[in-house]
Amino acid sequence: MKNKKITLLIFILVIVAQFYVPLQMMFNQEDIMKTGTEFKFQTAPIDPYDPLRGKYITLFFKEREITVQNNIKWRSSETVFATLTTDKNGFAKISSISKMKPKNSESYIKTKISLGYMNSKIIIDFPFNRYYMNEDIAQKAEKIYQEFSIKKKNETYALVAVKNGEAVLIDVRINEVSIKDLASKK
Amino acid sequence: MSDKIINELEELLHANVVTTETAENIREYFHQKKEESHNRLSSIFGILGAILVGLGIILVFAHNWDNLSRLTKIILSFLPLIVGQLLCGYSILKKSESTVWKETSSVFLFFAIGANISLVAQVYNIPGDLDSFIITWMLLSLPLVYLLQSSIVSLLYIVGITYYCCNSNYFTYPSTQSFLYWLLLLGIVPHYYQLVKTKALSNFTLFHNWFISISIVICLDTISHKNGYLLYLSYMSLFTIFYFIGKTSFFDKQKLKNNSFLIVGKLGILYLLLLYSFKWFWNKSFYKTDSISETLLSIEFIIACALTLIAALLFYKKNSRTNFKEVSLLELVFLMNIFPLISAYEFSIVANVIVLFIGIFEVKRGIKLNHLGLLNFGLLLITILIICRFFDTDLSFVLRGILFITIGLGFFLANYFILKKRNRNEK
Repeated sequence: MKNKKITLLIFILVIVAQFYVPLQMMFNQEDIMKTGTEFKFQTAPIDPYDPLRGKYITLFFKEREITVQNNIKWRSSETVFATLTTDKNGFAKISSISKMKPKNSESYIKTKISLGYMNSKIIIDFPFNRYYMNEDIAQKAEKIYQEFSIKKKNETYALVAVKNGEAVLIDVRINEVSIKDLASKK
Repeated sequence: MSDKIINELEELLHANVVTTETAENIREYFHQKKEESHNRLSSIFGILGAILVGLGIILVFAHNWDNLSRLTKIILSFLPLIVGQLLCGYSILKKSESTVWKETSSVFLFFAIGANISLVAQVYNIPGDLDSFIITWMLLSLPLVYLLQSSIVSLLYIVGITYYCCNSNYFTYPSTQSFLYWLLLLGIVPHYYQLVKTKALSNFTLFHNWFISISIVICLDTISHKNGYLLYLSYMSLFTIFYFIGKTSFFDKQKLKNNSFLIVGKLGILYLLLLYSFKWFWNKSFYKTDSISETLLSIEFIIACALTLIAALLFYKKNSRTNFKEVSLLELVFLMNIFPLISAYEFSIVANVIVLFIGIFEVKRGIKLNHLGLLNFGLLLITILIICRFFDTDLSFVLRGILFITIGLGFFLANYFILKKRNRNEK
């Protein structure tokens, strides 16, 4: 009987842990969405598939490059902090990268270096390149993007909330309309 | 079978062949046996059901129901988790004796945990860091193995950590050298030990034997860094260790299908030997690093030494009992680990000779024990050796043809004579 009590007690602790992990993930993301700074990243979407989480569109970002003074000390897949600014069209741009957390209150994201070129150009991976969608419309979304990209004036961007180095992808929009709405209307 | 015997019991009773007491005992025996197999069947169906329902839930949620609000999606994703936890709690409180309940509910909860985490990731578009996802999932599920004595969750855990190991070390580039797998594997050791001690012959133990041995073989490669080539030595010793584990009295008296260590060990040693028998294998240097001291201090070299030492100890332990009178050639192969240190082509010839001898020895043993499996295994080994030699020698087609015909005839004749001998013995 005593044995059973101990088992039950440990089981309750396990349940707490099983709740804690997803809830902590949730609250963290909610907090970033609510209190973080929003940025628009220009992007191009394509449509792949994840067996566990379903269909998503992968985002290819346009502003991933930065030129640095000496590229010797930057290695591929190294963790870096990229400070963000907004350009004159209102889209996000990397203004600088550093190995240490930026101390001032600028918006930055913790991310990884994708590739470092010899001519001191560095390409950054953004940690928000997946946008999950309904399996029926994910493929449509990609087609819509292609159709729009033939037209001249076309702005596809990912709306991202950033706080303390972490980022949450809120929406993907083509000319200010959510890609979800565009795809489900079609 | 049992029904037939029970039906005929009446007749045997009437004819006074068995006493009433014996008849009753026989009935009781078959009744119990039937119940056992009934239990086993419901276990299998319960587990299969839980696996299918769990996977089904993951798929249904993966559809991504856009018209549901974020809150509804989150609540729905927690639903399977709560149901799973309630079922597990009920199993602990009320059904602690029932394997069916414990296994089924814990398998369901296992999948519910995975579904829950991946759905939260879906809702918030958290990108796929598969490694940390699998580790979190496995660590949250591991306690179920001990709280509910769930062997299926334990097997799923082994599959999970093996997949994690492959993903972080082999599937992604640049690969990271990660030793976390070995720490995660330790988590399952107490359960495996308990299984081997208490249910040595159960199917759960059988599956654990296979899963664990194969998982270790897959993941040993994680230690390779700069001196990847030295890993052959580690593998050779690992297979030898497996072979000796399979030869311990505990495993040796079990059926061959239970003895994964012996099979994996033996096949592994032979595979490496066949690899060693190629000339090109000795072309490459075993050392990739700049200096000898760097090689000697590399993790690959240290692990190879440690494993070889363990293999040597096991060799001594097994054979000291019989005063080294029953040493088979296979048990000495790991000593070839010394060769690469003075790498040279001649060793490919040594490897050829060893494989040939092992093949001949197996054929001989097959004939002696009147065992068709062993006989054909030996012949197969010799055939593979000959096929391998075709790749690095320039023999004419005629000669190759004749060799194959000879080997083919060898197969026919050896099997024919054994079967004939068997028939004669039966008469």
